[in-house]
Amino acid sequence: MWKSIIYKEWIKVRWYLIMLTLLGILVLGIIFLGVQHDKIFSNANNYWYAILFNGLQYYSILKFIPLLMGIVFAFAQYYPEIVNKRIKLTFHLPLDEDKVILIMMLFGMVSLIISYGIMVFLFWGAGSFFFAREIVNAAMITITPWFLAGFGAYFLIATIILEPIWLYRILYTVITVLFIPLYLTDSVSGGYSPINLSLTVFTLVISVSLLFSAYRFRKGEM
Amino acid sequence: MKKISRYILVLITIITTMTALPGLYWLAFEKPNRAPYLFYSCINNGFVVQRHQNGKLIFSDLKGDKYTRSKYEQKLPLLYIRQLLVSGTMPDSIHGVEIDIHKVNRNRSFFRLRPKDISSPKPGLYPMFESRSGRVNLQMPKDFFRIKSRMEFINANTNTVEERKSELFTSALQHYGFAFPSKMIAGIPTTRKSCDEGYFVIDANNHLFHVKMVRSRPYVKRVKLPEGLRFKYIACVDFSDKKYYNYLISDKNKIYILTQDDYKIIRFPVEGYNPKREELRIFGDLFNYSVYMVGKDHLKIVVLNKQYQKVDEYQESWPNRTQRMEGKVFGYIFPAELSLSKWYSSYNKFYFNRTAGFHWLFLNILLLILYFFILRKRKIDPKKGIIDFIIIGITGIFGFIGVLCFPNKFYD
Amino acid sequence: MENVIECNNLSHYYGKKLVYKNLSFHVKEGSILGLLGKNGTGKTTTINILNGFLQPSGGECLIYGDNSQHLTPQTKSRMGFLIEGHVQYAFMNIQQIEKFYSGFYPQWKSEPYWDLMSKLKVSPNQKISTMSCGQQSQVALGLILAQDSDLMILDDFSMGLDPGYRRLFIDYLRAYAKSANKTIFTTSHIIQDMERLIDDVLIMDYDRVLAQCPVEEFMSEFRQFNFELENDAVDLSKEDFVINFEKIKNKVELYTYKDENFVRNYLDKAGIAYKNFTQVKMGLEDAFIGLTGKY
Repeated sequence: MWKSIIYKEWIKVRWYLIMLTLLGILVLGIIFLGVQHDKIFSNANNYWYAILFNGLQYYSILKFIPLLMGIVFAFAQYYPEIVNKRIKLTFHLPLDEDKVILIMMLFGMVSLIISYGIMVFLFWGAGSFFFAREIVNAAMITITPWFLAGFGAYFLIATIILEPIWLYRILYTVITVLFIPLYLTDSVSGGYSPINLSLTVFTLVISVSLLFSAYRFRKGEM
Repeated sequence: MKKISRYILVLITIITTMTALPGLYWLAFEKPNRAPYLFYSCINNGFVVQRHQNGKLIFSDLKGDKYTRSKYEQKLPLLYIRQLLVSGTMPDSIHGVEIDIHKVNRNRSFFRLRPKDISSPKPGLYPMFESRSGRVNLQMPKDFFRIKSRMEFINANTNTVEERKSELFTSALQHYGFAFPSKMIAGIPTTRKSCDEGYFVIDANNHLFHVKMVRSRPYVKRVKLPEGLRFKYIACVDFSDKKYYNYLISDKNKIYILTQDDYKIIRFPVEGYNPKREELRIFGDLFNYSVYMVGKDHLKIVVLNKQYQKVDEYQESWPNRTQRMEGKVFGYIFPAELSLSKWYSSYNKFYFNRTAGFHWLFLNILLLILYFFILRKRKIDPKKGIIDFIIIGITGIFGFIGVLCFPNKFYD
Repeated sequence: MENVIECNNLSHYYGKKLVYKNLSFHVKEGSILGLLGKNGTGKTTTINILNGFLQPSGGECLIYGDNSQHLTPQTKSRMGFLIEGHVQYAFMNIQQIEKFYSGFYPQWKSEPYWDLMSKLKVSPNQKISTMSCGQQSQVALGLILAQDSDLMILDDFSMGLDPGYRRLFIDYLRAYAKSANKTIFTTSHIIQDMERLIDDVLIMDYDRVLAQCPVEEFMSEFRQFNFELENDAVDLSKEDFVINFEKIKNKVELYTYKDENFVRNYLDKAGIAYKNFTQVKMGLEDAFIGLTGKY
């Protein structure tokens, strides 16, 4: 049965997932085209120097891309469920209601892990081609919370979309809008190193928050 | 699971409001507090002060004698030398020493070390300059070095290790008994300095080495340190008097200098420096070194003579924002404050700050009562909200917002 | 025969507005119950409670013994549910949606579904959302049939269907339900269809139940009499036996559970002059309007 759920989720999001991943790869392409250009134009050693000592983040345009992907992906997956309250069909399937929602969430999470994983791998690979590991490692630490922001936004937006009452949707949105910036605080390269692990754990904990909205929907809150 | 998911959402709200609301509060109500400026006057042999009082700048000394601006400047001839020269009020000699602007400038130094500089990610790669190229200007090398299991130079253009050069430096370090990897690398990695003195490196055994490149060859010198002396930070300096290479902060928060050429470690007779919370500023002039330790609510100054002996000291503190009116009101509203960054560190963490005192308990109790009535009005058995009450009791306004945003409405 | 659905003392409020209070009814296995009522009398509310999408303010519904608020997957697999407006996963095409649902129901029968689909003249890759309203309805109905559930809850199933097809579907549905001993709980706006389909009728008005009995019993006992009054001013609407009294000038439509003799006796005894007294044969729709009033 979970295969059928995944099949449905896949039909909903496949084009979004593919296009978003391509968008991410496109942004990476632009980043490393820029790296290639700047390395030639300002000499590799000066370019490295600017990264190491002047705080240049060659990947700064990446900052909001995973967040954007997470938001769009959450809409692609959950918005079709609330059109005409179609989620009633989902709840009516012969499965535990929480389990259905968790399978949907896990599908979304794994999709994002794959999509982000491809991006992070390319980012790391291309970075390692141009830069020494010290530079790449600091960059990886810096982009980690940006990708976590994508997951956090995905989980919370799912919660917002499934919430049946508009007033609460707005409240949840306010909290989300204030919460997500915690992942995106301006920071020096590598500055998030003490917090990345706890942020990751915390983000994983958020993943089940959509159960609350789903429950409220099922109980006919309006 | 549904109930847990609600508490997770409440927790998110608590974290969010705990960062956002106190931040907004300070933004709205925090008043500026101008720290006084103090300088050691070589004329008075004592401190002179600039203070903001009722929007006006007051110049005085510690005895309370007030000065005009120009009188004040005359008390600090080494600081305001250009102004005094223009006004024709510059003395010819001070303490029997003949004053000329070149001598004054040569002996002038300024050094600043913020807690943020110490608590920050290190780049791990450094450029090794040619310190005797025969050219006036330094040149950025094509490669950067790291000191891990050996000393490696990585060519930035090809992103590959320069084997020959790496081998050369590694064996030179080994020859002097360097234990890999390095614990700290300190230098001035910029071409904008008067000359290059390479890097000071602490090895795995806490020994201090001076490493530089002279005509493409490694120069290594092991610095003899007193037994048991460890450094947590080394800040290299490039002062025109060329007296010492760097300021060194020991693990016991003492301040040292390392003299040039004879590699002598000298301790400054300065106590009570807290590098985690205080900014260190050291002014050097013809006669003195003034060591400033500046915190958010206090200032300590120790003045040394050129023999590094203490000649004067001063300290002053003022109410910080938590002790002022706005902070007291804050204490009645917010039980705690959370922030992801702090002025004293470049690292991002959950900086949790519990509000001193328990004044916020009043509001917490008020909110508990209010929540009780809200539950009654919503026809929810207050017994079912017992965890909510505990949350509000502990986190006050933050938890109150949280439990209201995510209503406690369960049917089972 | 056991009760498939058993609702006891259901009450529901939206905020302070009462929908109904102490509504009790049951549906026996193998029977077809039609829930009739004007808009806003709580038909969809009842359907939502039955499917566990609404927590009633009071009372409970049992479906195969399960409280409808905690339906087990086993019970849900025995229930087919047609949402009002034939809502389905319209982002799928007819192949995908069949593949999707067949994964959930071991007893899945795809033939009735594909039978229906072959008549639709849609391409297999066409998304359901791009189909016409009637086509979408048939997809939803086809899925319900393929699920082969023991209990079908159909919320306004006839909406959007062509008259001919509606008739065909109803006849098919009844034959199918009767042959396989299926239970059906349904609502519909178009009451004339229901007559061909349902065994029992439950008629709701705002905040109360007007009738709850086998449809035959209702049709034989609920009567309409037309006559013309001599005196226009006579008003019988307050009389106990009168369910509904409609009068245009001197022409009267009187609805009651009493028979012709009773009404004639009453009129004679009360000294009300009348003429052209006839009993009118009603269809279910007429009876429904007679019972609930035109407004």
